[in-house]
Parts: sequence; C-alpha cells; structure tokens
Amino acid sequence: MSDRGSVAAEARTAGEPRHVDPEVGLLVGEAAQQRVPAERAEEGAPPYAVWDRSVAREERAAADTTYYDRPVIKEPVWIWTVPLYFHAGGAAGAAAVLGAVAQGVERRRLGRLVTRCRWMGAVGSALGSGLLISDLGRPERFLNMLRVFRPTSPMSVGSWLLAGVGALSGASAVLASSDGLLGRAGDAAAYGAGLLGMPLAGYTAVLISQTAVPAWQEARRSLPVVFMGSAMAAAASLLALAPLGPREEDAVRRFGMVGQIASLAGMLAVEREVSRIERVGAPLRRGPVAALWNAARAAEVAALLLSGFPGRSRPRRTAAALLGTAAALGLRFAVFLLGRASARDPRATFHQQRAGRGAAEVTGTAGVASPAGDGGEAATSAEG
Amino acid sequence: MIAMGAKGFFTDTTVCIGCKACEVACKEWNQLPDDGMFFTAMSYDNTVSLGASTWRHVAFIERPVPLGGQTTAHGISWLFMSDVCKHCQRAGCLENCPTGAIVRTEFGSVYVQPDVCNGCGYCIAGCPFGVIDRRAGDGRAWKCTLCYDRLRGGLEPACAKACPTDSIRFGDVDELRATARARLEQLHARGVTEAYLYGEDAARQPGTEGLNAFFLLVDRPEAYNLPPDPVVPTRKIAPAWLSLAAAALGMAAAAVGAVASSQERGHS
Ligand code: SF4
Repeated sequence: MSDRGSVAAEARTAGEPRHVDPEVGLLVGEAAQQRVPAERAEEGAPPYAVWDRSVAREERAAADTTYYDRPVIKEPVWIWTVPLYFHAGGAAGAAAVLGAVAQGVERRRLGRLVTRCRWMGAVGSALGSGLLISDLGRPERFLNMLRVFRPTSPMSVGSWLLAGVGALSGASAVLASSDGLLGRAGDAAAYGAGLLGMPLAGYTAVLISQTAVPAWQEARRSLPVVFMGSAMAAAASLLALAPLGPREEDAVRRFGMVGQIASLAGMLAVEREVSRIERVGAPLRRGPVAALWNAARAAEVAALLLSGFPGRSRPRRTAAALLGTAAALGLRFAVFLLGRASARDPRATFHQQRAGRGAAEVTGTAGVASPAGDGGEAATSAEG
Repeated sequence: MIAMGAKGFFTDTTVCIGCKACEVACKEWNQLPDDGMFFTAMSYDNTVSLGASTWRHVAFIERPVPLGGQTTAHGISWLFMSDVCKHCQRAGCLENCPTGAIVRTEFGSVYVQPDVCNGCGYCIAGCPFGVIDRRAGDGRAWKCTLCYDRLRGGLEPACAKACPTDSIRFGDVDELRATARARLEQLHARGVTEAYLYGEDAARQPGTEGLNAFFLLVDRPEAYNLPPDPVVPTRKIAPAWLSLAAAALGMAAAAVGAVASSQERGHS
C-alpha cells in the first residue's frame, strides 16, 4: 500500500504525464518509471518549430524526397562538456606520452618536464572524467562505464583507457620525488601511462566516427590525425604556460609544433573527405561551424609561426601557448558542431547513401532500397 | 532461457489506414508519458518521429501521384507507415553501448535495461534509423522493447494486437519473410509494381544484416524517413582505428624526436 502511495505521489509531482489516475491505475508498465519534468517548459522548446512553414504547399522534388525535412537520425545529445573533454583527455594522453619519452631518454636532465607531464596526465584525466560524468543522463551511475569491456564500443575502450591513464599518472605523480623501490614503481607507472596515453590522445575521433552522423562517418580516416595533432598541441601549449628549463622548453616547443602541423594537415584531409558529398560538407563551407573551423585554423597557424621563428621571449612564448590552446579548443568544438549540423540534415544521410557511401562502401553490394523502375542515382545527380 | 527463432514485425504499409491505434496501444501498455500536444501541419502526423516516449510512430505521406494499378479522380495517393525500432541483426545502439545496458534478448530483440543505463547517449548517435533517444528529466535511453513483458507472458506486442487491418504482423521472422514475399507477389500481380520489401534479410540490407522489424513500402525509403542504405557504424570503423594507430605511433616518434633534438642554449 505504501509502495503504491509513493508511486502515486511521484506521478502527481511529475505532472501526471501519463494521464493515469494513480488511485485507479497501477504504474507498472515498462516505461512507468520514465521521469519527465513537472514543467513542460523545462524540456525546452518543442522538438521542432510548429507552424513555421506550410509543408503542404512546399515544392517537393521527387528525386530529392525527405519526410517534411525532418532529421532522419537523432542529433547527438552530448553537451559542451564533451568537446571540452576531447581537449582535456587528449592533452592528458599526449602529456603522458611526452613525459614517458623524456623519462626514457634523459631522466636526469629533464626531471621537471617528467614530473609536470605526470601531473598533467593525472589532472587531465581527472578533469576529463568529471566533464564526461557531468554529461551523463544519470551521473550517479558513472561507474557502470567499467561494468563491462566491450571492444566494439570506442566509448567502452576509452573509459578503460581514461581510468588507466588517470590511475597510473596519478600514482607516478605522487611518487615523482621518491627514490628507491617507490621511485622505480613510479617510473614503471609513468611508462604504463605513456603506453595507454597513445590511444587516449586520439580515440575520441574514432568514437565520434562510429556514429550514424554523416560528416563524422565520412571523415573517419582523417579525424584521428586531427585529434592526435590537436592533443599534442594542447599538451604543449599548456606545458609552455609555466617556465621549465631551456632544454625542456625546447622539447615541448618542438613536440607542439609537430602536433600543429599534423592537425593542420589533418584538417585539409577532413575537408576533402567530407566534401565528397556536397550536402555532407556543407556546414564546413558556410555558416557558424565554418567560421569556427576557419578561426581555429587561423589561430593554429599564428601559434605555429610564433613558436617557429627564432628568438624566444617569455611574452611571445605565452602568446603562442594561449593561441595554441584557443586553436585546439576551437577545433574540437568545430568538429563537434559539424556533427550536430550534419545530423540535423536528412539530405546529408540520404545523399551519402545514394552515392554508394552508406553500407555499399563496406559490403560491396548495391544495397540501396527503392521501388522498381526508380532511378537510384537520381538524388545524387540532382545535386548539380 | 528458451531457445527459439527470432521474433519480429512485418509492417505492410499498403493496408495501414493511419488510425494510430498502434501508437495509442503502445503508450497505454508501456505507460509512456505524453510528448506534449501540438499540431505540426505535417499531414495528419502530429507525432513527428520516434523518440524516448514514442515507440510507434505513424508517418503520413500525401503524394500528388496515384498508386500503381489505381485510377482515382484526382490522381493522388496517401501513404501511411507505422514506424518502430527495427531490432537490427547488427544493432548500432547495442554495439555502441559501453555499459552493457543494451542486450539481445531470447526473442532476438534489442532491449535497454533501464536499471543499468547511465544515459551516456552513445546509442543515440549509433542508431542509423534515429530510433532511440534520451528524454530530458529522465536521463536514460529508451525505445521499443518489442513488448518484452508481453512476450514473456505469451502475448503478442500491444501494437500488433491493436492493429485493426493487420498492417503490423508479429511472429517468427522466418515465417514473416515468407508472408511478406507472398504479399509482394500478390501486389505485383495486381499492378502495384512499385511495392518492395525494406530490410527483410541480410541480402536486401547488408549494412544491418537484416531487420527483425521490416517493411513493405511503395515509395522511396526517404519518403518515409528511412535511410536508403543504412549501415551499423561499427562495420565502417576499421580504417579509423588504423589511422589512430598510425597517428599514435607518429606522436610517440615525434616525442622521441622532440626530446632528442632539443637544445640546452636558451634564447631568453
Ligand atoms: S533501429 Fe536503432 S534502436 Fe532499434 S535496434 Fe536498430 S540500432 Fe538499435
């Protein structure tokens, strides 16, 4: 009886969206526990603009059909903390790698860099985990991420990588000033973090590519290069913000420049990949996503030039580091928003698949479904 | 668990009358909350799409062309299709799920366990059909369960039970395929030559290796908001992992190069 009473109470506080009188009907269906806000307004606007145009009068070209221009796939529900995590997690992974290499090559003379990389790996992973948890629909269940290991899911692989790098970098950072057995354990942990940091720095590119989002799917070969380069640049820019020894600063500068060159080259490759289908590449050609993408590129070039020319005054180094950070962040957000825009456009999906870049690309069969006598390629040729 | 053939739906859109009994039956049985009440001006479709609280959706398509073999005064046709989760043989939602919340049941259906799901949203981006979604305020991913509770009790899903024209047929997928092929032949013989099956097996839809809920359609998939050549994203991802491996090795090499070539003399 008390159980029933509490269910009834919850139904009332939830605005009774089921229109079930809890005194008469029991809430025991599969979705009886699905919560909705008491106030409709809390859910934001309706999922589409009602009455914004008369669909009935709209010209619908037979070769370019959509269902009232509604999206065919769902837009990713991720919030701004996710691209911010791409940045933080990427920097943590790249720092773990740089730290492990510095430790292997010249531990004695690069001691400060090694320690700082360990801390960056640890703090970056912790911060990144926090950002990811805040994006979850049920944050209190974040540990379910480590409930199974599923190799088909880059998010599952990444959760384990992040946990591994966080734990190993954290341990090595705490043990950085110890010597003897503890010191050696710290060194071993740092090597482990470096190894796991290699995929951690760029796996998020694979994660977003393994979606139905046309632009992310099309760019799956080049996005890992962009993300890896961006992670290197992000780590180097953050490391350059506080002074190190001259040799250490030089190593960081060189590492970051390679990353910036890689990410700039990767950006060109992404542009090529997504522009194979006119509609898939459209957000990168005009509009807010294109503006952010180009601004990030400009900042990256400027940062690269600032750190490339001879003479390294402190203000100049700081300017390069700040520009580099802004570029890396802008790039992650641009890629994120590109996917969102792409998911909203049903024609991006339709044209991609009609052009043989859906399942046909991997199955080798012309799987496009259509009525008999319907020109299967019409939609693509209609693009002009 | 009892071993048995996969269960699913065959939705024959040519006999659908757009009554939305399936939508209502689904909401009622599963006690799904409403999505707000508004008009959309999209023919008689005010449901718009499948979502977290909408597990059946009837699409309404008004066309200025008649159906094959039909003679009407105004040369128009009105198509309806009751859409649902396809319970794909290779399901993007399931293969993306990092928590193991999404499982394949003994009925061959794809089921989200609400007590495990932590609302990461990866299944939503992984579904090539835009089916599964998260609802604000609840935070978890939801979709059609193929009425898992009813199947356990030996009942057919609520939508199929309610469908007055048998447009939604429930049963063993093998048997449904035979039924669908017979129906297709019948329609072709009657002059509805544009009729075809969508996603009935791996040969017809290799990207998903076939759908346990498949359809008979008479217009392009796009007209019903279905992708023409859907693919489970996992199948295309190998090149991305290879790129990542190359880039990771490149980063390690760059780190070695940067440290080895770094110079002591400072400029500042
Ligand atoms: S249609 Fe989408 S939600 Fe349904 S099983 Fe396939 S991938 Fe999952």
